[in-house]
Amino acid sequence: MATNKTKSESTGHHDPHDGGADVTDSVKLGPEGDYVMKLAGGIGLGFLVVSIGLGAAASDGFKQFFHSYLVAFMWGLSIVLGALYWITLQHLVNSKWSVVIRRIAELLAQGLVLMGVLALPILATVLKHNDVLYPWLNHELVHDNHVLHGKAGYLNVPFFLVRMVVYFGFWTLLARFYLKRSLQQDSTGGDAFRTTMAKAAPPSMIAFALTLTFAAIDLIMTLDPMWFSTIFGVYYFAGCVLAVHSTLALSLFWLQSNGRLVKSVTSEHYHDIGKMMFAFTIFWAYVAFAQFMLIWYANVPEETQWYAKRFEGEWLAVSYLQIVLHFVIPFFFLLSRHIKRNPKTLVMGAVWILLVHFLDLHWLIMPNFHRGGFSFHPLDITTLLAVGCLLAAFILFRAKQVSLLATKDPRLKQSLAFENI
Amino acid sequence: MSEDQHSPETPENAPLHGVLAEYNTPGEILEAARVIRDAGYTKWDTYTPFPVHGIDAAMGIKMTRLPWIVLCAALTGLTTAILLQWWTNVIDYPFVISGKPMWSIPANVPVMFELTVLFSAFATLGGMLVLNNLPLPSHPLDLKERFAKATDDKFFLLITAADPVFDDKDTRELLESTHPAVLDDVPEDRQTPDKLPRFLVYGMIILTVAALIPFAFFAKARETHTRDRRIHVIWDMDFQPKYKAQRENPLFEDHRADRLPPEGTVAVGHLKTDDHLNKGLVDGVFARTFPREITASAETIERGQERFGIYCAPCHGYSGAGDGMVHKRAAALQEAGVAGSWVPPTNLQQQTLYEQPVGQLFNSITNGVRNMPAYGHQVSVEDRWAIIMYLRALQRMRVASLGDLTPEERSALK
Repeated sequence: MATNKTKSESTGHHDPHDGGADVTDSVKLGPEGDYVMKLAGGIGLGFLVVSIGLGAAASDGFKQFFHSYLVAFMWGLSIVLGALYWITLQHLVNSKWSVVIRRIAELLAQGLVLMGVLALPILATVLKHNDVLYPWLNHELVHDNHVLHGKAGYLNVPFFLVRMVVYFGFWTLLARFYLKRSLQQDSTGGDAFRTTMAKAAPPSMIAFALTLTFAAIDLIMTLDPMWFSTIFGVYYFAGCVLAVHSTLALSLFWLQSNGRLVKSVTSEHYHDIGKMMFAFTIFWAYVAFAQFMLIWYANVPEETQWYAKRFEGEWLAVSYLQIVLHFVIPFFFLLSRHIKRNPKTLVMGAVWILLVHFLDLHWLIMPNFHRGGFSFHPLDITTLLAVGCLLAAFILFRAKQVSLLATKDPRLKQSLAFENI
Repeated sequence: MSEDQHSPETPENAPLHGVLAEYNTPGEILEAARVIRDAGYTKWDTYTPFPVHGIDAAMGIKMTRLPWIVLCAALTGLTTAILLQWWTNVIDYPFVISGKPMWSIPANVPVMFELTVLFSAFATLGGMLVLNNLPLPSHPLDLKERFAKATDDKFFLLITAADPVFDDKDTRELLESTHPAVLDDVPEDRQTPDKLPRFLVYGMIILTVAALIPFAFFAKARETHTRDRRIHVIWDMDFQPKYKAQRENPLFEDHRADRLPPEGTVAVGHLKTDDHLNKGLVDGVFARTFPREITASAETIERGQERFGIYCAPCHGYSGAGDGMVHKRAAALQEAGVAGSWVPPTNLQQQTLYEQPVGQLFNSITNGVRNMPAYGHQVSVEDRWAIIMYLRALQRMRVASLGDLTPEERSALK
């Protein structure tokens, strides 16, 4: 109670004296949602067609297309998976500050339905035993390679497809579960749905950790099926968390510049999102270095070959740039609280992180295809725009129908009054 | 420590330390703090049972400088880690580990990270204490019994008499206008001794000196030599059961280091079933043909020539006539009466050897013959056959005639 009172007096953002949450805010998307949805949908579909055209024009059996597409796909997937993780985490720790933002993350997580559809082209290559992406689908290669032969029990078409169905099925169900319960809470209020969602969080978090780890291994690591790194799932996870917090900051900034949630979300909430972006910038560097150092120190050929590919030609420069672009610059940029508390500067950091996260995925995936040096192809951009815009349109389509704020959550008051010490 | 510290009594003649106002809610103290802030007071403070949001702004407290202190400490820690590892690894005690360069950044990053964090943590704690004037062993408010409620449910505001704006009458009136529950004088503390207790001072000196002892030992150890055996606090791998050259092997009951293969087993790659290839035998007699695995090609003969030059020519001579360098030298020494009996190596260019089966030649190379030692362990099976093939070419050369050449070659000779 004391918190509420001081908050109102110090900032005057809302008036909690009545003891109820402030829902005088604008919590529904207006015409701007429609406009951006149609625009993004159009751009997304357009670039999807352009990408397919460019892929065919490359006349390399769609190799360039699929590699670019996989980078863009994993980029989009990391945002929605990060959102799913974020929701589960908030329920797991009974977080109060985040209640005003929770609906945005719940809507972002709905993108998993679209990502499941966008995964179909990748799954089709696997189903057709086409080794355009995954070398372990090449029978001759596996036949002549003792190690791959041994891994065939895991890396085979039926099991791979079953795993993908399990991953996307579980993620979609969880994302829908959280949005559904949260919307039910909007209409009824009370503590019942809060408890339901909180109880689902611990097992979901464990299942999420396992599915995300194995999905990262299956979709990215098996591009180089001889290589293995047990921390690889965590590496991708670090990118997911960075991506979702950046997207949350961007979404809130866009919504507020259109007059939505202006009273509910304050610089205190931006500050916390910024802290997570900062923390996970360090976490990413920590994980990336932990993976590198062990491999570097042990110097075992079967492990170092993965980095050797990334040290060839211009890839070496990209590897070094990763340290600067993905760690040093965001670290020092996000270090100051003034940057994190100012939505404009925080959004600059968010855009930067989403871009370097894309570069990071490019660096993870492309050296398997473009050996010997960095390579840029228009498809890298067109597929990214296609996936990104379609994802935005899909999420906006869902967002138009519902409130942007979990208006009846019992913790909403605390979240509205939240203040960093 | 002394009884009179617990006494709530304060001497009447103690000068005034400040004026203490007590409030019942955080809202009231926030309101009061704004009034005091706006009146221009600087030496005053508030005391609350929990962090009151917005109190910083209400009191006009500027943003803390602590982050800058921590940033400097972090960079100092980073620099320290780099210099420490560079100096120890490159300058003071260069030692190759895992074949890495003496100065290799990846190996040093963990320590760089740790020292950055360590220095930051110490700076955060230390800086926070210094900026807050802590530790504060005693304060005049400690003697106020009422003040204990600051850790429970009351909110206090103290303006000290040392404040330049402080006025005995005006300040009281100002505080009165904020409607405190209680307004009270706080006298200076004349009971608590100014000095630290003796035992604390001596204790700290003793601890500081004791903490330096290990470093003194380190410094001595760096500069002196000793014949004493080192003390093994942790054994690491200094003592481990293993075989050392010219010693008994502690690992097996029979104390032998060389182990025989288990009965009825053959090591991988040592099962040799093809007698023709490995022994030069066909149906128990020396073969007159080369084994199937050896191809008659210029490549094989060249290989044989090379091996022959290395292993055979020193005694048998490059032409195979038994006039190699070793033979010439031994014969010379014998002639001079320096060395004893020398059995000349066989002349390979003679009829009996022309007719000898290749299998027998192979056997001679492998196991030796008369004075010639065995070469089986030095020359691989394939190379032995290559040597024989080359030898056959060498022998054929001796009995060749002009008729063996093609007409073109013959005309080229002219």
